[in-house]
Amino acid sequence: MFGIFMESLVIFKLYTGLKLLLGLTLAAWFYLLFREKDRNVRLLLVYAPIIVVLLFLFPVSRKVFVAAGLDGETYYRILWTIPMGVITCYGACKLFARHKRVGLVVTSALVILCGSYVYQSSYISKAENLYHIPDTVIKICDRISPEDSTARVLAVMPPELIHFVRQYDSRINMPYGREMLVERWDYYNAVYEAMEKPEVVDVEALLEATRAEYCRYIVMNSERKTDVNPENCGLVLIDEIDGYRIYEDPVTTEVVEQWQEYYEDK
Amino acid sequence: MIILQTLGLILWLLAVPFCMGLLFFSVLEKQYRTPGVALIAGYIVLFAILELVGIPVVLLAVYNGFSIFKWIFTPALLLCAALGVFVAFKIKKRGQVRKFDTAFGWKAISTEEKIIFALFLVLVGFQMYMAFTRASFDGDDAYYGVQAVIAQQIDTLYRINPYTGRSAPLDVRHALALFPIWEAYVGSMSNVHATIVCHSIVPLVLIPLTYLLYFQIGKILLKKRRDMLPMFMVVIALWQMFGNVSIYTTETFFLTRTWQGKSFAGNFIIPAVLWIFLSLFGEENEGTGLKEDAAKGKDKTGKPGFWLLLACLNLAGGASSSLAILLSCLMTAGLAVLFTIRERKPVILFKACLSCVPGGLYVLLYLALTHGIIVL
Repeated sequence: MFGIFMESLVIFKLYTGLKLLLGLTLAAWFYLLFREKDRNVRLLLVYAPIIVVLLFLFPVSRKVFVAAGLDGETYYRILWTIPMGVITCYGACKLFARHKRVGLVVTSALVILCGSYVYQSSYISKAENLYHIPDTVIKICDRISPEDSTARVLAVMPPELIHFVRQYDSRINMPYGREMLVERWDYYNAVYEAMEKPEVVDVEALLEATRAEYCRYIVMNSERKTDVNPENCGLVLIDEIDGYRIYEDPVTTEVVEQWQEYYEDK
Repeated sequence: MIILQTLGLILWLLAVPFCMGLLFFSVLEKQYRTPGVALIAGYIVLFAILELVGIPVVLLAVYNGFSIFKWIFTPALLLCAALGVFVAFKIKKRGQVRKFDTAFGWKAISTEEKIIFALFLVLVGFQMYMAFTRASFDGDDAYYGVQAVIAQQIDTLYRINPYTGRSAPLDVRHALALFPIWEAYVGSMSNVHATIVCHSIVPLVLIPLTYLLYFQIGKILLKKRRDMLPMFMVVIALWQMFGNVSIYTTETFFLTRTWQGKSFAGNFIIPAVLWIFLSLFGEENEGTGLKEDAAKGKDKTGKPGFWLLLACLNLAGGASSSLAILLSCLMTAGLAVLFTIRERKPVILFKACLSCVPGGLYVLLYLALTHGIIVL
């Protein structure tokens, strides 16, 4: 039980980042605890949040949460029910009720200084288009996308493009996707093993795996090293876009076209 | 083409939800019959209907699920919107709608407050600008975003592995959370790619919508000091921008993953529970304070409109995630217990329980699906 409590405490610390912003909320909460006279507001912004924190840290809560079939990794979302922003802003408004201008400047400055600017995140970049995915992905997808709107193609993509391909065109299938990039999920995929695991790609081994999955296209970063030139193994370089080489496998293409004719897909 | 697409987006993201929200004007008190409340209520009803219509389609339709969904969802939305307009006209005829300016209170505030409020609008405008011009990478988009694209391009709902494109059994863990399907729907009705809707369009609506909710919360909290409301809004806007103290906070989700259901859960569904409870029990409402009510013989647990809205909210949460519905129902129950104890009125708990029925049914269905009791 103590272990679960400590785990919950760690989750709480991770959630708040133990940054000064938590201190601001605590200060506002204490202010409201002693000065708020409206009983409804006290109940919603003073008592309810502390009950949530106590329940969050209470080991049985976490056990129930997981037993209910919920993902233990999302346990932190219980803390979303604490309106930290509202508590802080309302507390500040009450505190500086007689000195509005000073209050606005001081509170704003404190929030800016104690917080962390969201747009500084390393995950945020200038959007290249309205899709908010790299232009390169769009160009590659447009190049290999089947003309027939009902048809689909299978393409192996480099890891840095995997997240975006099907956000643009869901008719491009992949032998593996994001699930292979999350290490803790620990999945196995033969194409991934051949494409990403070795430092130098063994093209024959890769082709064996991709042909078993009927991959028509292989997209490779041009800096990726291969033991032999892929074209010597029968692949056709159909294009090079923004540093990515797009190879088509004629063997798979023929097999897939035969299927499509057989099933009158085409 | 762009003009038609823009008009389509305005229709499905603003006009229709707004008109749907007008439905609640028949059950809300006059002070709540404002454009802001109409839009908030409209979105709550919209997502409740999304779940009501979408869940059976997802569970039962293996092929062409998205087309079937559109055939049912569109008339349902339009019917609610038309009824909303009808209700609003009837109420207006009786002179029971507040004028826009009265509802907003713009004329009543001083120049200083106007300037501070303008500062708030600048901050919101900046956040919207950043949402439109900055790409925020999140791995979950490879799942949720692609579900929307699959619905739009392949016409199936949750029956294709979004990572690879292979056919797959129904993904029961996520299949009841239809937020991506709503985004695909908006895109489909406006002829816009689902990913553009998710990343570039939806934040332009959800960011102001969230602030509209905070505006309502602020109005109730600062009922005796309305002059502080602009400051409250400015600080809230800054709080959202500087609340990125970890990757887990609602603030981080709000501005970096606005288009995802989980962000909607943390930034709309949960604050909406707070707003509804403040509206139900806040002393702002004339004649609803405990002593006043007792004096006037009114029942403080009244306000059927808000209880109804809470019931819708407790179902609407399911659109964003299964956890959201659980959290909103638990919040409802927990806060109801606290108010029941304080007011010594079990009827509060009874009404809260009733408002949790739709959400409770959703949770039961989710458990039955995930534990293999219902097999499809």
